[in-house]
Amino acid sequence: MNSSKLRSLLDAAQKMLRPDPYTAGMWPRGAALLTRQAIEQALDNLWLQRAAGVEKCSMRAQLLCLGHYLRPRDLTDRVTYAWLGLSRACHHHAYELPPTAAELHDWMATAHNLIDAIGAKPTK
Amino acid sequence: MNSELRQIVSARLLAEDLLDKTVGDAVLAACEGKDGLERYLSDGEVSSAAISASGPRTAEAYLASLTVEGFRGIGPSQVLKLNPGPGLTLVVGRNGSGKSSFAEALEVLFTGDSKRWADRSKVWKDGWRNLHHQHPVSISAEMLLAGTGPAEVTAIWEEDAGLEGASTAMQPKGKRKTSLSELGWTQALLWFRPFLSYNELGSMLDEGPSKLYDALSLMLGLDDLVQAQSALADARKNRQKEFKDAEFQRKELVENLRALLAEAEDERAAASLKALTSSDWGLEVVEALLSGAAVGSDESALAALQQGAALQVPAQEDVRARVQELRAADDALKKFAGTDAERARALARLLESALVFHEGHAGADCPICGTADVLDSEWTTATKKEVAELRACATELDQAHRRFEAARTAVTEFMQLSRERLMTQLATLAVDGVEVARKAWTAWNDGARIADANELAAHADKHQAGLVKAVKQLAENCSRELQRRQDRWKPVAGQLAGWLPSARKALDGASVLPIVKDAEDWLKRAGADIRNERFAPIADRATAVWQLLRQNSNVELGQVQLTGTGPARRVSLDVTVDGVAGAALGVMSQGELHSLALSLFLPRATLTESPFRFVVIDDPVQSMDPARVDGLARVLEDVARTRQVIVFTHDDRLSEAVRRLRISATQLGVTRRLESVVEVRTLLDPVKGNVEDALALVQTAELPRDVMQRVVPGFCRAALEAAFMELFRRRRLGAGEAHEEVERQLTAAGTLTTLAALALFDDREKGGDVMRRLNQFGSWAGDTFVQSNKGAHGAGADDLRELVRNTESLCERIRELK
Repeated sequence: MNSSKLRSLLDAAQKMLRPDPYTAGMWPRGAALLTRQAIEQALDNLWLQRAAGVEKCSMRAQLLCLGHYLRPRDLTDRVTYAWLGLSRACHHHAYELPPTAAELHDWMATAHNLIDAIGAKPTK
Repeated sequence: MNSELRQIVSARLLAEDLLDKTVGDAVLAACEGKDGLERYLSDGEVSSAAISASGPRTAEAYLASLTVEGFRGIGPSQVLKLNPGPGLTLVVGRNGSGKSSFAEALEVLFTGDSKRWADRSKVWKDGWRNLHHQHPVSISAEMLLAGTGPAEVTAIWEEDAGLEGASTAMQPKGKRKTSLSELGWTQALLWFRPFLSYNELGSMLDEGPSKLYDALSLMLGLDDLVQAQSALADARKNRQKEFKDAEFQRKELVENLRALLAEAEDERAAASLKALTSSDWGLEVVEALLSGAAVGSDESALAALQQGAALQVPAQEDVRARVQELRAADDALKKFAGTDAERARALARLLESALVFHEGHAGADCPICGTADVLDSEWTTATKKEVAELRACATELDQAHRRFEAARTAVTEFMQLSRERLMTQLATLAVDGVEVARKAWTAWNDGARIADANELAAHADKHQAGLVKAVKQLAENCSRELQRRQDRWKPVAGQLAGWLPSARKALDGASVLPIVKDAEDWLKRAGADIRNERFAPIADRATAVWQLLRQNSNVELGQVQLTGTGPARRVSLDVTVDGVAGAALGVMSQGELHSLALSLFLPRATLTESPFRFVVIDDPVQSMDPARVDGLARVLEDVARTRQVIVFTHDDRLSEAVRRLRISATQLGVTRRLESVVEVRTLLDPVKGNVEDALALVQTAELPRDVMQRVVPGFCRAALEAAFMELFRRRRLGAGEAHEEVERQLTAAGTLTTLAALALFDDREKGGDVMRRLNQFGSWAGDTFVQSNKGAHGAGADDLRELVRNTESLCERIRELK
């Protein structure tokens, strides 16, 4: 999936944050699913470019490896954080509150940053 | 006043040379408190302490372990081992696991009390002994003190002792036991309070802006500034009040004096009035008046009355005696009536000459009349006798004359005393009986011109009684008038006497009032500046902490300021909600309030001036939503870069956030079994975390070999770094080295080899010896070090798995080193 397709996923997620009676109650999960998908796809792109095969591994392994392949360093932490938060939001836990629009917004921004970083010249 | 603040104040005073020296001195004196200020205002001396400065710096401390027995939820002795150095430690345990007992124990050990119970009832406080383990009860903490090295603080309770009855001691390793106060932490514990509990966080903002102000200004050490200000304000108010009171009394006195003078003339009242209405209140004059000194000259009415009251006439017996003598002398003189003393004397001389002649020229005939034969021996005898008689007669007559004259003079003497001037004066004062007395006196004195003794005696007899009566009456009248005046004056004089000291004090006070006022104004102005200057870094950090904590809260925290003084003092928080300014704390959620309190109090606990390198936070996570917990984890990570942060928490959201955010931390799990047996396990630490991550990677079968070779050594290396750092910190801090210096060397290490050299040999230059030392554990150790450091090229999955296992072992060996 090229980067413009990834961005359109994020745009769709972004739209879900707006008030809309049809998505009431489900928009946080919907937006989280789309954003997480964008991040995972972006990582796939990264691995295909730089370390083929890693995309087949568990997300934990992928995220642990990320620091070695992605700059700046803190982007790895932010991507890890966003992915974990999004995953929690995607799995419906009866007792857990959904993320706020602002949190989702932050994670989308992280996803955009990730896409930017991968699109940029390969480092190392 | 603490020396640091005093220095700031004196530096400011010096910088403003426009300020009058006396005003500056007053400010410095006020910094020493009320007594210091009064001493300065009364004798112009500023204590030397006010001028000199700099107190001893207190030891900086990290915690190495905490041992608790029989306290709260902890029964048998249990140790909470801590990594003495900067870093985050989470102590995680369910409610009732005993973790908070550790937090409270630490607070009780150092402060003797716990904020958690401070405002609770007795029932709360009574449960401090463990139910299952009533005795022995003890708390002890091992610390690493900069400049001293390890030291142990202990508190032991006897079987029947109350919470406050612990015997506490501090013992630097290898030295004598001393008291806890040796650490010099008494003030610091108040100012920087390294203990924050959930309760405290909650109540801090509830208690209102002035309480918050007090807590914040206390930690800034600005409390003394407030005290200096109030010393000056009190000095001013007292003096103003004294002056006002004295002025009020003065007006009252003026009224009284005017009333008195309206009633009757009184020169003391007049003089007092004149003094009191003069610009300086004429206190000297008033004092002289009161001490009874004469008001003016002898001409004063009072003096006249006093003289009048003391008027005396010759005593009746004296007069009678002298008149008697006069009469006697007169009688005596009369006996010589017709006798001529001169003739007798001349005749005696003649007869004596005749006798002499007769003796020298024998012959019986009289040589003068020529009568023959008359000058015989019979004649001689008779003539001698006559001469003697004649002489005696002359002398007696002389004496009688002299006696008479003396007696007359004695009587007329009484009649020559003039009282005219006094009478005239008394007449103008309208004293009764002056005319009668004057007439009697004049009549009496008329006797002085009488020559005849009998007449004189009769005169004296006649006028004496009248004179005595008239003068006695006059004296009585004078004395009564004097008394009347005294009666009118006395109460006023009493008032004046009572007023005089307070008036003097009031004027003295008023004279220094401009200095006090200037000093007060200056300190108020400078105080506000100093306060804001000192508070600025905290405010900035509070805002920064809030930025991290607030996450996606729509509440924004702008400037935090300490404003106002006295009852109007408060912490002004510039809170905006959704961009709307002026929002009250009321719109914030409980979680937001806690975060705000934490934002304000974390900077307090981490000020550079604080000797505590550790912060203990008990349950900060309650009522925070997940996003804020992430923010909190970030905040703690940030503080943990320079401080030992120990967080006790009952839910795993914070530890989860720490893992998720990949924050380097040690996590200790606390569980409590039956009978209050509390156990502490290490759940995670930086070494363990990296080893676990590396293991997760080598166990991922799908992970391409080359990726694994690249990535896994990085985690192993991070684990080794953590182990080396831990060893280095423990040893160097344990040797009493300054904390900043230890951290500086760690930061400067750069490469793993340098770090290893520091950790193993305390010498960053000994990188070349690292391998030899590590190989003492076995050649696997050196290989592990190299592979972790340089990468494991060509290694298979099994090799990498072994590398991770060996890394774990090597880390354990390193951590066991001394």
